[in-house]
Amino acid sequence: MPRILSIWLPQLPLDRLARHGDPRLAGAFAVTAEERNAWRVMHANRAALKAGVKPGQALADARAICPDLLTEPSDTVREELLLRALWRWADCLSPRVSLDPPDGLLLDISGCSHLFGGEREMGGESLTRLSDLQIEARIGIADTKGGAQALARFGADALNVAEPGELRAALADLPIAALALPDNLISELARAGLSTVAHLQDQKSAELARRFGLHLTQTIDTALGRTPDPVTPKAADPVYAARMTLPEPIGFLEDLEAVLERLARQICGWLEQDQSGARRFQLTVRCVDTGDHHLGIGFARPCTDPAAVLRQFSHPLSELEIEYGADWFRLCAEHIEPIRLKQTSFGEEAKRADDRLILIETLGNRIGFDHVRVFQAKDSHVPEHEFEQAEAVQAAPRWVQAPRERPIRLFTPPEYVQVETPGRPPKAFKWRRMDFSSETAHGPERITPRWFRDEDLRTRDYWKVQTRQGRRLWLLNYPGEETEDWYVAGEFP
Amino acid sequence: MGQAELQNLIPLGAVLHHSLSQPKALELGAGVRLRQGRLHEVSGASADMFAIQTAAAQDNPILWMGLHRDIVTLNPSGLQAYLKVEDLILVEAVSRGELLWAADQALRAAGGFCVIIDMPDTLSLKESRRLQLAAEQGGGIGLLLLRGPASTSAAQTRWECQPRCAEQPSWDWACLKGKNGEAGRWRMTEQLRDRKGGASAKDTLHLAAAASA
Repeated sequence: MPRILSIWLPQLPLDRLARHGDPRLAGAFAVTAEERNAWRVMHANRAALKAGVKPGQALADARAICPDLLTEPSDTVREELLLRALWRWADCLSPRVSLDPPDGLLLDISGCSHLFGGEREMGGESLTRLSDLQIEARIGIADTKGGAQALARFGADALNVAEPGELRAALADLPIAALALPDNLISELARAGLSTVAHLQDQKSAELARRFGLHLTQTIDTALGRTPDPVTPKAADPVYAARMTLPEPIGFLEDLEAVLERLARQICGWLEQDQSGARRFQLTVRCVDTGDHHLGIGFARPCTDPAAVLRQFSHPLSELEIEYGADWFRLCAEHIEPIRLKQTSFGEEAKRADDRLILIETLGNRIGFDHVRVFQAKDSHVPEHEFEQAEAVQAAPRWVQAPRERPIRLFTPPEYVQVETPGRPPKAFKWRRMDFSSETAHGPERITPRWFRDEDLRTRDYWKVQTRQGRRLWLLNYPGEETEDWYVAGEFP
Repeated sequence: MGQAELQNLIPLGAVLHHSLSQPKALELGAGVRLRQGRLHEVSGASADMFAIQTAAAQDNPILWMGLHRDIVTLNPSGLQAYLKVEDLILVEAVSRGELLWAADQALRAAGGFCVIIDMPDTLSLKESRRLQLAAEQGGGIGLLLLRGPASTSAAQTRWECQPRCAEQPSWDWACLKGKNGEAGRWRMTEQLRDRKGGASAKDTLHLAAAASA
């Protein structure tokens, strides 16, 4: 049977501010968030609780109760970052740690606790270490994830331990809310007179499932360890980043490039060791007067070449305005992908592909990767939907020959022509302020639109017209319309 | 001026310009030659076709760059008859300056790309000289599709291309200006070979030139 330790951090947002030394925490203070169309108190400190502020209360009510209340909206991103930092910290307790967002951690401590002298001692040690970090925590230790979570959140003490095999008894006195069920299910159970876990344990599971659904019985089974529910540890992704702090600020482009080269060489060395490459690099330059500047570049394929990083950064670096110099630099590789080593020194094909990708990177980094595109075939009979454009970085070019002869320029929407001498197609017309008269015409090619799509549902007749002036145009007409309007839909070479 | 004379002229010009190295030239068929590592200007209603023919005559990737309104009308299911659509990369610039920068980078890049620049207006002498220098460095070929009137430029040649009214699709190509004395007029006719059998896209079109039109 595994042993699970659940750490619950009930006051994580307040702890975050306390760790920053926020002076407002000395008085009544609360962290708020917008919920159900109102600002509500999410976490309140001891002084605020004493004054009568309750979590879940509307902020206006809380202010009325406690006029001195100071508040701060919750910052979920920073709270998550703190939780992730604690998740990495928890490696000192057990190698198998998983996040339990938004405010908890789950540790598989099977075979670890003896290192601390027992489970209770381990829990106590964890609490001490966390309080050293100014983090308030509650801990539950049990055979299952659900059980440990319930004990941490609803147990009587800061440290609650259910000895192996005694989980059922330990959970019996806890309210049903301890089982992490949806709110509506909890209120339904309360209406049926079931308020503690012991009440549920007395019932036959078939009856519970019939009345409240399978979700309830499944939750009970996992909480009591009848069905397995392992901790899935996640290793933190390696961070490929390097930084450099200089004693004196620098400002010359050559100096910046020298710094960047050192950073890039270091990061690319690590990447190469791990046989991976980065698709993006982010450089942070901290100027002494204007603060941080973030520069980013992208690559068409995973890159480990410091020279390429330097080359792509040369443009953003040259645009950077540094007046009084910068003294702190950080280069970070993002979008890490494994690279398959290929022999590139031989073979014309590989070199050509390389040249192509390098050019796509250079162009994309300046004018945007969404502006460098390739054609991709699409299966459709409507001329303007026979193809689409995809980003050249993402897509390997692939083209399937379209079956019909089509113009090389396609005008969408088609351009209106002024008919001078009517006919089918018109014998003389004006297009783009130029006069044309038709010599020969092939057609019509009738195309019915895709009725199952939300698009122009008119039937189209296309004519290939050789004009006396030379140009070969693709004329379009919608048959069955009241007005005999003609359009130029494309131009043949 | 006929094609035979033109063919004689090209090596002579080459000797004048680059005393030792023989420049590479693209053979478009029927004696029409375009020097590589150079910028060429094309104007006229069927300038697209000239660019397509040039792109099809070489086998490096093709970059077609221009503003949104010019790039968005390109239709690959029409282009597939002449060139390999897989080789085509579209570059959509937001402004004229960005377009010039992209053209400069693409011409300068190693790999000898065929760069087709859909220019919304004319280039100044300085701008075309910069592009010309970039093309010399990269060794590819630059084709400038001029929508506006031609002006003084540093391009190697200037072509005027007009479609003709005929049974078969055909075009009149005229080389109006050539730094090394290239000049002449050609009448090109599309001679479709076996349309089904032509597996390679390039084979479907055969250009035949008549004597000076």
